[in-house]
Amino acid sequence: MQTVTLVPKEQFKISVEAETITPDNFAGKSTDEIGALVAFEGNAPRPLSELFDIKVDGSADAADDVKIEINGNVNRVKRIGEAMTAGLIMINGDVDMRCGAKMKGGTITIKGNADSWVGQEMTGGEINVQGDANYYVGAGYRGEACGMRGGKITVFGNANDFVGEHMCGGEIVIKGNAGIMPGLSNKGGKIVIEGDTDMPGSEMTKGTIIVKGTVKDMMPVYQKEGIEAVDGVEFTKYVGDVVVDGVGELFVK
Amino acid sequence: MSEMRIKNATVYDPINGINGDLMDIAVKDGKIVDSVNGSAQTIDAGGRLVYPGGVDAHTHIAGSKVNVGRIMRPDDSRLNNKPRTKVTRPRTGYTVPNVYSMGYGYAEMGYTTAFEAAVPILKARHTHEELEEIPIIDKAGLTLFGSNWMVMDAIREDDLDRLAAYVAWGLLASRGWGIKIVNPGGGEAWGFGKNVSGLDDPVPNFEVTPRQIVRQLAEANEKLNLPHSIHLHCNNLGKPGNYETTLATFDVCKDIKSKRDRQSLHVTHVQFNAWGGNHWGDFESKSEPIADYLNKNDFLTIDMGQLVFGSATTMTADGPVQYANARLLKARWSNGDVELEDSSGVTPLEYHPQSYIHGIMWAIGLELALLTKDPWKVLMTTDHPNGGPYVNYPMVMTMLMSQKRREKEMAKIAEMTFERTSIAGIDRELDWYDIAIKTRAAHAKVQGIIELGKGHLGVGADADIAIYDIKPDETDATVEFDKVEAAFRHAAYTIKGGEIVVKDGEITATPKGRTYWVKATAPADGHERMMEDLKMKFKKYYSVNMANYMVEDEYVEHPVVFETGYQ
Repeated sequence: MQTVTLVPKEQFKISVEAETITPDNFAGKSTDEIGALVAFEGNAPRPLSELFDIKVDGSADAADDVKIEINGNVNRVKRIGEAMTAGLIMINGDVDMRCGAKMKGGTITIKGNADSWVGQEMTGGEINVQGDANYYVGAGYRGEACGMRGGKITVFGNANDFVGEHMCGGEIVIKGNAGIMPGLSNKGGKIVIEGDTDMPGSEMTKGTIIVKGTVKDMMPVYQKEGIEAVDGVEFTKYVGDVVVDGVGELFVK
Repeated sequence: MSEMRIKNATVYDPINGINGDLMDIAVKDGKIVDSVNGSAQTIDAGGRLVYPGGVDAHTHIAGSKVNVGRIMRPDDSRLNNKPRTKVTRPRTGYTVPNVYSMGYGYAEMGYTTAFEAAVPILKARHTHEELEEIPIIDKAGLTLFGSNWMVMDAIREDDLDRLAAYVAWGLLASRGWGIKIVNPGGGEAWGFGKNVSGLDDPVPNFEVTPRQIVRQLAEANEKLNLPHSIHLHCNNLGKPGNYETTLATFDVCKDIKSKRDRQSLHVTHVQFNAWGGNHWGDFESKSEPIADYLNKNDFLTIDMGQLVFGSATTMTADGPVQYANARLLKARWSNGDVELEDSSGVTPLEYHPQSYIHGIMWAIGLELALLTKDPWKVLMTTDHPNGGPYVNYPMVMTMLMSQKRREKEMAKIAEMTFERTSIAGIDRELDWYDIAIKTRAAHAKVQGIIELGKGHLGVGADADIAIYDIKPDETDATVEFDKVEAAFRHAAYTIKGGEIVVKDGEITATPKGRTYWVKATAPADGHERMMEDLKMKFKKYYSVNMANYMVEDEYVEHPVVFETGYQ
C-alpha cells in the first residue's frame, strides 16, 4: 500500500490543471519523482513539488494499491483523478471542476463540495461527493455526444442544474435536491434524485430517471404509462421525450 | 543569397519525367537552379525519397463555414491539442483545426500548397484574413459562381460576354483563382427550401437549368483563358443513384476545348457522386461506369473525396444536402445563406466501418482511383474535412500503394460492403511515381500552377521540396505500409521556398505563404453591361454596398497575381 499525502502550499488564486494527480501516475514513485510531475498553474507549467507538500508512505506496484490523500483547500485545482483506472483519492475539502473526468476505475471521495463537471464522461469507478455538487454532474464536455458512460456518482448534498446531461450509461444518485433539467438529452444510464427537481428528462431518448421528491414542472413531452412500483414504492411512470421519439423512462411520485 | 544543395536524393518528379533517379538538387534564392557552389548548405538525403512539395487542389481550410464548424464543434477542439513551441502557436482540433494548425499540419506531411475550394465573394474578406494567417503553405481560393444571380441572369439572357465579365470581376472581387460551381442552381433553390433535381430542372425564378449554368461557365472559363478549368461539385450529391447525373454532367462539357494544357472540366469529390441504387437499402457503388468514362475521355479530371473512418465535419455550399444529412443522422446542423450568391451548411458526423453505407463510400473513393488507368486523371483528396481530415492523406496513400493495407481495413468493414463494391477484387498497387502524380504533380497540372513553378522540381521552379525518411529501393510499400505511412506523416524535411520549415517531423520555421489569384481582362462592352446590372443588384438586393464588398489589397499581403485575358 502506497499512501501519498498532498498539502497545497498556498491558496491558489489562479486555477491549477492537475490531471497528473492520479494513482496511475503516482504508483511506485518516490517523493521526488511525484514532485517532478507537471501541473499547469494558469499557463505556466510547474512541478507538483512547487505547488504541494508531498509525503509518500510505503510503495505500490500498481495503481490499485495507491491511496492519495489531499488535505487543505484545493477548490482551485481542476481535473484531479482524470482518466484514473484504479486506486483511491480522498479529498478532504472542496475541489474544482472536472474532478474524475474520464475516469475508468477506482474511487474518489470528496469530503467537501465538488465544482461543475464532476465525473465528466467517466466510464467506470465511483465518485462520492459528501457535500454539494455544482452544474453538470456526470455530463459531457461541450459538443460531446456522450457524457457519463459507466460507473457511479453519489452526491450526498444537493446538485445544481443539468445533472447527467448526455449521459449514456452508469448511475447518478443525488441524495438532496437537483437543479433544473436533470438528464437533459440523455441516451442511457440511471439518475436517482431523492429530493426535488425541475423539468427532468428533456430530449431523453433512452435511460431512466427516478425522482423521489417533488417535480416542480414537467416538460410537456411525456406520455403517462400508469403506476409502477420501484423498490416497493409506487411511482407514476412516464415515457418520452416523445418529440425525439424517446423511450426513456421517467418515474415521478 | 541563400543557397542549398540536397545530395543523394531519390527523386520522383513526374512533371519532368524523373522516376526515382538518384540525383542532387540545387537551390538558390528560393528557386531550383542547375548548380550551386561548394559552400552551400548541404543536406544529405542518403538515397531517401524526395518529392516536390505536395499540392492539395481541393480542401476547406479557411472561411466562414470552417469557422462555423469550429464554433459547432467544441468537442473537436479537444482533439490533437499540442502546446506552443518556440516557433509554433498552440494547436487544437482534428477535423477543424485552428488557423495556424492548418498550415503546420500540411507542412509536416511535406505539403506546401493548398486550394480552399469554396469562397463566396461576399465572405471572401474573411477567407483571406484566415488564409493570410495560415503559415508556411501557399494558398488560393476558388470562387463560387454556381448559384449566383448575376451568373444566372446573364445566362438566361444568353450574354456570354457579360457572364465572362462578371467572372473576371468576381475573381477580382474575391481575389480568387478559379470558378467553383457547387450543386449548380441548387444553392439558390435552397433559399426557398427547394433543390434542383437534376441537370434540366430549372432554378426557381431564374428559368435557367443547371446544364446551362455548367455549360456557359465552362465557356466563359475558356473565353477568359483561366489557368484552372471549372471546378464542379455535381447536382444530387449525397443521393443514391446520383451517378447518372454525374455521367450526364460530364457530357455537358465534352466538346469544350481547353486553350491550355489542362482538362476542360474538373469534377470534385466524385466519391460522393458515384452512388448507385434507388434508396439507402439498395445503395451500391457505381465507380465502374465513372472510371470507364474517365478511361475513354481525356477532357476531364476528378478527385477522390476519399472517406476516412472516424470523425468528420461536413461543410459545403450545398445547403440542401446538409439539411438532409442532419435530418437523416439526427446530427447538428448549421445553415448559411449567402444573399445573392449561394447557400451553405455544416454538419458534423462520424463514419463507422460497421455501417455498410459508409463502407461502400470508403470503397468508392479507392475504386475511382484504382480503376481509372491514368493516374493524372484522379487526384488524391479527402475533400477535407468532408470525407475526413487531411492529416489522413498518408493513410490514403498507403491504401493506394498496398492491397494488404486495404485488406487490413476491409477486415473492419461491414460484410455487405463487398457485395456492392468491387474493391475486394482490385489488386492494382500504385508505385512511388504514381503517388507523386496523385499528390502533387496532377494537382499542379489541374490547377494550372506548373508555370508558376509549383508541383515539380525543374530548374526555375519554387524550391518546395519534401524529403521522406524512407528509401524507395529498399522499401516494399505493398508490405511495409506502416513504415511508409509514418514517413509520409512526418517528413524528414519540408523545404518551402528554399527554407527548411520542417525537420524530422517538427516545424522549424513559419514563414508566411503566398496567395495566388487571377486577374482577367474582360471585353469592354460586356463589362459595361455587367456593371450596370451589378450596380442595380447592389442597390436593390445586397445588404452591403459595393464599396465595402470587394477584397482589397490590404487583405492579401503576399499576393501572386496571374494575369490572363479574354480571347
